[in-house]
Parts: sequence; C-alpha cells; structure tokens
Amino acid sequence: MSDMSSAAQPATGVTPSPVPAPSSPVSVKSGKGAVWFASRFAVIGVWIVLAALFAVLRPDTFLTSGSFKVIFGSQNQAALVFLTAALLCTIVVGEFVDMSVASNFGLAAIMLTILNVNHGWSVGAAVLASLVLSTVVGAVNGWLVVKVGVNTIVVTLGMGTFLLGLALWVSDLMPVGGLPTDFKDIALLPVAGLPISFFYGLVLMLGFAYVLHFTPLGRNMRFVGESREVSRLAGVRVTRLRVGAFVVAGLIAGVGGVLSAAATGGFDPNVSQSYLLPIFAATFLGTAILQPGRFNPIGTLIAVFFLATGVLGLQLLGATSWITSVFYGGVLVVAVTISTVLRNRSR
Amino acid sequence: MSGHTVPAPAGDAALPPGPRLAVEAVSMTFGSATVLRDVTMDVRPGEIHALVGQNGCGKSTLAKILTGLHRPDPGSRVTVDGVELRLPVRPDESRAAGVAVVHQSLGLVPDATVLENTRLGRYKGSRFWRRIDWKAEAEATEAVFERLGPRRIPLDAKVADLHEDEKAVVAIARAVQDLEEGGGIVIFDESTRALGRESLERFFGLLDRIVATGTSALLITHRLEEVVEAADRVTVLRDGEVVVAGKEVEGMTKSELAHLMLGREVEGLERRTAEAAESEAAPVVIDGLTGGGVRELSLTLRPGEVVGVTGLSGSGHDDVPYLISGVARAKGGTVTLPAGRVALKGLSPASAIGNGIALVPEGRESAGLVGAMTVTENIAFPQTCTAKASAKLRPLGGGAEKQRAADWIERLDVRPPWPHAALGTMSGGNQQKVLLAKWLATDPSLLVLHEPTQAVDVGARKTIVEAVREAAREGRAVLVAGSDENELALLCDRVLVFDNGVVERELTGELTPHDIVQAIYTNSPRTRLRERTTRGAS
Repeated sequence: MSDMSSAAQPATGVTPSPVPAPSSPVSVKSGKGAVWFASRFAVIGVWIVLAALFAVLRPDTFLTSGSFKVIFGSQNQAALVFLTAALLCTIVVGEFVDMSVASNFGLAAIMLTILNVNHGWSVGAAVLASLVLSTVVGAVNGWLVVKVGVNTIVVTLGMGTFLLGLALWVSDLMPVGGLPTDFKDIALLPVAGLPISFFYGLVLMLGFAYVLHFTPLGRNMRFVGESREVSRLAGVRVTRLRVGAFVVAGLIAGVGGVLSAAATGGFDPNVSQSYLLPIFAATFLGTAILQPGRFNPIGTLIAVFFLATGVLGLQLLGATSWITSVFYGGVLVVAVTISTVLRNRSR
Repeated sequence: MSGHTVPAPAGDAALPPGPRLAVEAVSMTFGSATVLRDVTMDVRPGEIHALVGQNGCGKSTLAKILTGLHRPDPGSRVTVDGVELRLPVRPDESRAAGVAVVHQSLGLVPDATVLENTRLGRYKGSRFWRRIDWKAEAEATEAVFERLGPRRIPLDAKVADLHEDEKAVVAIARAVQDLEEGGGIVIFDESTRALGRESLERFFGLLDRIVATGTSALLITHRLEEVVEAADRVTVLRDGEVVVAGKEVEGMTKSELAHLMLGREVEGLERRTAEAAESEAAPVVIDGLTGGGVRELSLTLRPGEVVGVTGLSGSGHDDVPYLISGVARAKGGTVTLPAGRVALKGLSPASAIGNGIALVPEGRESAGLVGAMTVTENIAFPQTCTAKASAKLRPLGGGAEKQRAADWIERLDVRPPWPHAALGTMSGGNQQKVLLAKWLATDPSLLVLHEPTQAVDVGARKTIVEAVREAAREGRAVLVAGSDENELALLCDRVLVFDNGVVERELTGELTPHDIVQAIYTNSPRTRLRERTTRGAS
C-alpha cells in the first residue's frame, strides 16, 4: 500500500524538520538512470547486437536486401502486426488476452476467398462481407464478456476454436486459392522497396500509439484498463469502451485477414493457429520495450521485427523450423523477466 | 467497559515486569534513504501502547519489520518476553513467540465465511487424507469467540454480510487465537480506519477485555482520539526517529500529540472560526432525492457553505454523495445548479460532471485514483474523459495539463512535488491531496466529498480541510458525507444527521465533535473509548 512505497522514498515530512533529511530526492533518482535506460532500451540494444552478430557470421546471406525484405516485408510479419494490434485493443482496456483474434483473422481470409472464388461474388462485396463478419464476431465477444460477464478466456478460447472449425468446414479442410491477380496489389504494391502491407502495419501501430498517448480516448482506455471504478466515477462510459475495444479488435483482425488472403491469392485455414504463440510473444515482449510494464504498440511493433530478425539469423546459421518456437518462447520469458526485475529495482 | 482489575502479570507486584515486546536500535535503510534510525521502544504486559506519527514517518515500516516483510539493518534487535527474535522476523516464529497481527483494514476475505476467515492459515489436515476436520475447526473457533465475550457471530455467515464491528471481532479473533490467554501481544496495523464511532467504542470494549488479562496491544493509528482516549502509553515517530518513547497518555490532549508528531504548533486545526460566507450567487437546491438508503432528501446549499451529512452506518447519509453524482442510481429527485435543473433519476456520472458536480469518493485506492498512472495523468483525468465525442481523438493539451498539475501540486503541497511520479509511490496523505486536486481542477459548482480525510495524517488533513474551505470561499457549495465527527466539526458550517434514510436533526452554529456524536447516537452519548485502569489498583 501507500506506506510501503512511501518508505522507499526519503521521509519527506510536511514541515522542515530539525533532523536533516536522510537523502535528497534527486540523488535517489539519478542513481537509477542506468536502470531506467536499460528497462526501456535493452531489447532494442540486443536487437542491434543480434543483427551485427549475424552480419559478421553470415555476411553474404544476412547482409543482403533479400533478408531485409524477409524481416520487414514478409506477409508473415504483416499478419503479426495486425494480429498484435487486435490483441492490444482489448488488453489495453484491461481484458485478459483475447484468444480468438487469430481464428477471426483466418475466418475473414477464408470467407473472402470462398465468396469470391467459389460463389462468384465480386472482390469488393466479398471483402465487405468478411470485414462485417469479423467485426460481428468481435461484437459478440464483447457482448458476452462485458455485458453478460462471462470469463474472457472462456469466451475467446471457445470462440476461437469455433471459428477455426467454421473456417475448416467452409473450405473443406483444404487451402483455397484463385483470387484475382490484380487484387494482390492492395497488399504487395512495392513502396520504397517494401510491400505496402508493411506500411499499413506501420501506420496502424503509429496511429494506435498516437491515440493511446496523446488523445482523450487513449487516456480513457488506459484508465479503464487500470481501474474500471475510478473511470466510471470520472464519467467514462466504461461498458461502451470495453465493448468497443472488442469490436475494433475484430475489425482489425478482419483487415489483417483480408490483406493476408490478398497477398497470397487465397488462404490455408490451418495456418491461422500458428500465429497464436507469436502474437502473444510479441505483445508481451512489447512490455519490455520503451514503456516498461505497459502494453504499448510501438514496443510491440519492434518486438515483431526483433523476433523475425532472430529467427531468420538463426535459420541462416543452419537451424530448421524448430528454432521459431525455441526462439519465440525463450526470448519472451527471458526478456520479460529481465524487464520486470529492472522495473522493480528502479522503484 | 467497566473498570477491570488487572492481575499483576508477573505474579509478583513488587518487581516491575519486563517488557512484552522490546524494539532496540532498529534502523532501516532503503538504498540511500534511511527510513528508520535507531528506534527503541517497549510495550509492557497488559497495556495498550499507541504508535503514531504522520504519513511517511516510518511507523508502517516498523510494523512491516515486526511482521517480517522487511529486513532491518544489522544491529537491530527485537525481543518478545526477553527472547530475541531472529531477523528478519519469520512469521511462524514470531507467532510462536506470541506476536499476533491485525492487518490494515482488518485483512478479511469478504466472500469467505467467519469460520474460514478465522482459521485461515491454521487449518489442520487429518493424518492420512489431509482433509480439513471442519467440526474441530469450528470448535476451536468457538473457543476463541468465547474468550472475546458474549457476542455471538454465526460461524457460517459470510464476512461481507457482517456489520463492521463484527468484522473487527473476527479479525481480532483470528489474531488472538494463537496467543496464550494473558500472554502475547497483538499489533493493530491501522486496523480501525474504517470503523465508525459506535463500532470503535465496541472495538475498544473488546480490546479492554483482552488487555485486562495481561495480553498487550500495540496500536498503530492515525486517529488521535484513539490515543488520547484509549491508550496507556504512546510512542511518537517523526522522520524515522523516536521523538517520544512510551510517554504516559493520561492528561495529554490531541493538540499536544499533534504537536509532537509534526514538530510545530498546529494552529486552527482543532477549531475553526465560523465565517459567514455570503454570496449573491444562486444556491444549489436538492429536491426530493430518493434512492439507495435515502428518502425524500431536500436541501439547500448556499454558495460558500459547507454542509455535512452524517449518521450511523446504514442510515443513508453515505449514499447521498453517490446518488447526487450519478454513480448510484437514484429513484427520483432533482438538483438545481447554476447550470440548470438536473433530474437525478437516470443521471450519468458524465452528465453530473458536465453540470458542475464533482465527487471525491471514499477509497482512494479503489475508486479514487490509479496508482500506476502519473500524478499529472490522474489530475487531468476528469478533463480527458469528459471530452466531447468529436474531440476524443484530438491531441490532449499536454502543456496545459502539466501546468495544471504543477499548480495543484503547489497549492496542496503535494510531496514529493514530482508531476511524473507514479501515483502509487506516494504516501496516503499525499494521494488524498491529489484526489482532491483531481476534482477541484474541474472547477465544480457543487463539490461532494465522502470521508475526505480518512486515513491521512494530521498535516495532510490540515491541508485538505483548508483546501475544501477555500473551495467554498470561492463560491462553491460543498457537501461532505462522513462518520468522523472531528472532520465534520472542522469542515462544516452545519451538519445534517440521518436516521433511517431521513434527516433527523440539523446542527448549526458552533459545532463540536461532542455535539455531532451526541446527535448521531441520540440515546447513547459519546462515551470514552476506554476507561484506563491503573495498573495494580484493585
């Protein structure tokens, strides 16, 4: 409680006391500068060191524009950015992890493909229908969790599994392809050497960070995440904000799914589940970057590319696909542990 | 609360008994900050010993050392009945040595039953299946309640459903069950902060019964009247050092005590000069407020006037702040403000704020502030969340926000004056100042407060009282709901006393804590918390 933390601070009485103050606040603060810096930028430092290491060990393969494109321009990363943004929407307002975003993403991608290829809908109509569907899924999640009060994990895990099943059913368990080739451009149009989907992700995360950091809406989201009661008493419409977060999460997952289907000309419904661990890894790793202890979009974005760099480098060093799981899992636990320890020390 | 004869604990009245608990040369350093230096004090058998000091003086740290949460610096010694404890204190060892703790705000689990709460941490598993023998547990609990007196509390009742003084009984029962009858010491770590006067009297009745057997009590508290009226001796900490160790309380006044705690004269703290604040502005009129435990409350508040509402817990007075501010659903009634007439039925917190009503709720940790956000963000929050829908995505006025926070930090003397410190790192008194600043910054025409000085030290209390009076002088109407008669006497121009949902009495003119308590307990005038018994006298 308050007194515990006040104990860690110099005892500043209300009156100047005859006893000399044990220590000045300034000295306490500056002594912690290194810890302060490390808890924010250590992961970025490790990222640079890692990249330098790979560059030295594999100069002809890692130090190429090809690997740069793999790290920043691959559709896998673009999908991860959209999925982590969707996950962040609900985490920031205080919900425990939404397990359904990956399946919702997959359902949007497969619906778009099926409606266009198998049922002859125009691309525009199919895109619209997919987005509406994923947004409705988000709204149902929000209604069950916020209005009815069902446990978040139960609702979203169940919804995720249910949607995965639906996606497999409508696609007959098979990858579906055959979207019009010019539709690819909405995801793959090259801009400054990278596919445009990279910039969508960048704009999405920067915009999200801007909203959280600089606008009343973002401040309200943070406060609702920290304390619903304090927010309610201050006049925030807490229920609406929480439901809204689920709805927007569904929409973002849907947009990610549409872009992913566009990029590959179709979708394999079995793929969506493989995103689940990476998006949790990146999102939680994001709490160790820039704003220690807080879920934040920029940190999450950096985490996505940090993880991609590590995996690519290790693969170039000879590791096969198992390295993805080892690296994601290992880095997540180590980085968040170090960040937590540093943060506790800097208090 | 009859006069008890205290059996001389050592059996021999000629020898002065050794201390029950002795703290010697205890120091505590966090990093480069010394929080406690060379603290030495002792608690005698069978006494109530009060430990006081303002927020941040180190008394909570001392309590945490005694309960094993902190490891004191080398050279510190803690002994119980002459036996030295290993440091840091291991809770099981200190419990075996006879130290029991009643935690802040009683430390009960509301959803569990009385039996479950009392036996928590002491369950015995059966030999093979490790099952809990509930019958034996119930018997053990009954035996403890027997020791505490004739009041019966159903063991299967949920703690959440109990009356507040029954909760206190459960917490005490849990603490004393491990103590030998007549031995040991109970440490009360700000356990009484949520108790109203009536419950407080019962609490001390119970405590009197316990110490009369020879068990000691160490009372860590903010409420000076508990010390003056109930403690035998007092130890005062200031800035981590003992100012007064084990002084006899008999004959001490609250202002003397406050002086010891602050190291200066506290002017105007105990008495307020009645000032007739006259204003031309229209009054705030509450008409026919019904809802919760309140029936048909009508009330006119002149600008510049501070009106208190009080009563026994459950009398309805503590629902008024939440009904007026749209936080609890009112069934009917209106409030007329300078901004216009507002129907209370269906009022939302946002529209209440928009109409110039600000609520400073009870419970700064749960309802008031967010510890993980900064002081600036907390103070600015009502502004950010009442932003119009069209402005929700416009940037916050960063500069104005900082300026406002800096202004209020200075006006309310928030320490340390760091606008970017996480709020949770501040002491309780300073958090309460930030909570008040947060709502004063909305420039309300009706300021509603609930228990505004609960669990804050004397210095912060003075600042808060002055700030509220100042807010009234600026032409606001102020409504204070509370059960602390001292606070109400300091703050209010008049006090309405509730009984069963309606205003039963109105007190005007010079208000004294005594009058207020007398009005609350119409048939039971304020009694001393405890009649001190002189040791050895029969």
